[in-house]
Amino acid sequence: MLRLNQMKVHTKYIAGLIVVIFFVLCPLFLNSERSYFIYFLYTTFIYITIAQGWNLIAGYTGQVSLGQHAFFGLGAYITAITWRAGLTGYFDPLAFLLSGTGALLLAAIVGVVLLSKLRDDYFSLGTLGIGEILRVAALNGGSFTEGAAGISLNSTAYKSMNHYYYTALFIMLFTLVVIVLLIRSRVGLALIAIREDETAASANGIPVLRYKILAFSIGAFVTGLCGSLNAYYIFHVHPPGVLSLNWVVIPVLMCILGGAGTFMGPILGAFVLSIAFELTSIWMPEIHPIFSGAFIVLVTLFMPSGIMYYITNHKSMIMRRLRLTVFKWMNQKA
Amino acid sequence: MNKNESQYSKKNNSKKDVTGDDIFQMKSITKRFGGLKALNDISFNLKKNEITGLIGPNGAGKSTLFNVATSIYKPDSGKIFLMGENITGKRPHQICWMGISRTFQLAKTFLSMTALENVLVGAIYGHKPRARNVRQHAMEVLELVGLETKSDIITSQMTLSDRRLLEVARALVSQPFIMLLDEPMAGLNPSEIKKMLHVIEKAHKERNVSILWVEHKVEAIFSLCNRIIVLEYGQKIAEGKPEEIAQNNNVIEAYLGKPSS
Ligand SMILES: Nc1ncnc2c1ncn2[C@@H]1O[C@H](COP(=O)(O)OP(=O)(O)OP(=O)(O)O)[C@@H](O)[C@H]1O
Ligand SMILES: [Mg+2]
Repeated sequence: MLRLNQMKVHTKYIAGLIVVIFFVLCPLFLNSERSYFIYFLYTTFIYITIAQGWNLIAGYTGQVSLGQHAFFGLGAYITAITWRAGLTGYFDPLAFLLSGTGALLLAAIVGVVLLSKLRDDYFSLGTLGIGEILRVAALNGGSFTEGAAGISLNSTAYKSMNHYYYTALFIMLFTLVVIVLLIRSRVGLALIAIREDETAASANGIPVLRYKILAFSIGAFVTGLCGSLNAYYIFHVHPPGVLSLNWVVIPVLMCILGGAGTFMGPILGAFVLSIAFELTSIWMPEIHPIFSGAFIVLVTLFMPSGIMYYITNHKSMIMRRLRLTVFKWMNQKA
Repeated sequence: MNKNESQYSKKNNSKKDVTGDDIFQMKSITKRFGGLKALNDISFNLKKNEITGLIGPNGAGKSTLFNVATSIYKPDSGKIFLMGENITGKRPHQICWMGISRTFQLAKTFLSMTALENVLVGAIYGHKPRARNVRQHAMEVLELVGLETKSDIITSQMTLSDRRLLEVARALVSQPFIMLLDEPMAGLNPSEIKKMLHVIEKAHKERNVSILWVEHKVEAIFSLCNRIIVLEYGQKIAEGKPEEIAQNNNVIEAYLGKPSS
């Protein structure tokens, strides 16, 4: 938001830049093909991107989409189908573009239908339905989608994990830059206004539907890019994989955990949840789902608005105590 | 309350009879909610630079009239004109772009934003969006309503009075032809009411805006308005100068006769 850019912006940028440089350098010091850390970062980058896309429509604009897995899956299928047909190649920028754009168009069409008339909760249910519709379409797509078995891709094309790592990093950075620019701009002001009060937003001249569709579509675009990358990564695109509800549930949890409607929220949430998931799956693989579930419950109990809000509140509380102490101390002296 | 009301009455004398062109017209507007006719064949005009009061008992249809005028509800029949142009059925944001701004009976500010950001929304997206100097323009309007020192305060931390003033600022900043105020004084204490009255008067004078103003604080509305329209059960039962309205038997029976709220 606008007031963010008044203070400490430079420290934030510098800190961000250092982290980015660290990510860029990681593969130079680790063996990407074997490094668990590289794989961990790769998946986290993807989750951050999807979570940030959801954040734009749900966190900032207040429209809770449950259809991100549909955009992810569509992106994966577009990449797989165009590659198999020889229209695109391995790691083809055109495939990424087509996948992102396909997801964007789907979101725009669905958005016009679901966002123009229906109430908010129907939007959630409706978007949840897109994934189901795509699943049915994929299962019944005949030789086009190869049904339940899915499309197997030419895995001999695989070159190096670094391709995946840097592409995921690039997609994430691209997403973060787009989100920052949007949120700091007049568009961000409109999105937040819509979240805060739709009636007041439209009465003050904001074309509400247009901005909702914009936020929804941009989120879908970056999610489609992730789906595309995922198709290249697993070389096998089938409904249970790329249309799994995990592709919406996990990023949404990350975003809520970190703080929806904040820029750092999805980033923090993705790292915290990924680490929690990974640790439990390493140390106690049998109870991983239970622990992860318990972790999520605990966090929502104690930090219902997410880590970012907790930090912000905590900071001001600490500052207040500090000021009070100083004040008392000065009073005693006087 | 009564001791304050005498302060408004003094202003009765300073009020001028501005008559200009009709800039806004409602023609035979009817709005039903199921079996209820919330607005029944309502017609009236607003003139340039006039402050028009809209009064009536609870449930008379005043807010519904605002909601129809700003396209939040579609009328079942009838037409609405702004500067001679038919605006019936336009989208709410288009109505704003064409020059009608409003406030809400239950103050609707953007709670997570600062006061300045709230006004910026109106300045950027409203009737006359300005490419440059939106910030300066927004600050000027905040100053007009007396909130310039609170520009960086998050709206959720502001008092109801300040939020109502902020809503007026947000409506005003888009430089509308007409501003619709839905009970801007509801829930305010006497000194806040005085402040609001002052702000409305100042906004009207300095910004050349016509105002349609719904209010239960009858003394306040009689002190500022050039003309008053009275609604009861969705029907217009009277229209005229304040002094005429005060003597109208229908009105006295329907509204003024009751103990004031
Ligand atoms: N959305 C709605 N659905 C159904 N009935 C409604 C709706 N909005 C208003 N009404 C009804 O229409 C009538 C007029 O309501 P309205 O809010 O316009 O009154 P009002 O004059 O603004 O009253 P008040 O002074 O209490 O604000 C009331 O009987 C109300 O119950
Ligand atoms: Mg009302």
